Amino acid sequence: MSIYYYLSAFLFCLGLIGTILKKDLISMLLCIELMLAGVALLFILFSKSTGFIDSQLMVIFMMIISACEVAIGLSLIIALYRKKQTIYTEEIKIVTE
Amino acid sequence: MGVDIFLTVLTVVFSLMVVLSKRTVVSAFALLMTLLTIAIIYFQLGTVFLSAVQVLVNAGAIAILFVFVMMLIDLDSFPSSREQSKVKLVISIFTVLVILGVLALVINNNNDVLSTVTLSDSSMKTLFDRLFNAYYLPFEMATVLLLAAIVACIVITTSQKVEKEHDQIN
Repeated sequence: MSIYYYLSAFLFCLGLIGTILKKDLISMLLCIELMLAGVALLFILFSKSTGFIDSQLMVIFMMIISACEVAIGLSLIIALYRKKQTIYTEEIKIVTE
Repeated sequence: MGVDIFLTVLTVVFSLMVVLSKRTVVSAFALLMTLLTIAIIYFQLGTVFLSAVQVLVNAGAIAILFVFVMMLIDLDSFPSSREQSKVKLVISIFTVLVILGVLALVINNNNDVLSTVTLSDSSMKTLFDRLFNAYYLPFEMATVLLLAAIVACIVITTSQKVEKEHDQIN
């Protein structure tokens, strides 16, 4: 089971790299999903290794929160696309305008 | 042990596809496959309910939501080749190395604790007993959060239409 710990760390780090390096907002949201999946896997592994069942409940709450995050994030992206006609971070300059 | 390695390799390949793929649609489908393989890992670990919820909510709803939004936004109209800034690359690699180092240290130092599997208290009955007794209030708060998210989505996507209509009238 120990290999899954490294898998969850890998998923989190890969998601972090993607969030920093990706240029468009949809890909960044996809990478945040990847990070959340890694953390959820870690919660379940801790629940299995320590017998602490509340970790599994945390995964349920994490799924609810990630659903809310994705829904609001995607609606913000659609609103931004309607206004600016782009989803690339370099072309969006809200603060300076 | 063989199944562990097979599932890990499968997840690593699909997650690499999410980050490395140039096309966003391919990334979304790779994320879908990653979430499905993680659901299989949950199943293998014995958490059957969470595996089912992972397939239904994360893989079934969220990944498909991404594809729907990509259909609304015309991604082909954007130029695909964009320069990658080297500062960002260095910062991300440094951050990831630090995080990986800390995690490897934690995992290696607690290896005997983490490798012991206790399957005693993981039945669905115990899970829901905890959820509807000790975690009753957070569960209700989560439903309110979902409701707030629905309202927020509707407000965010419709408020601009109203503004445009006002502009046209004026």
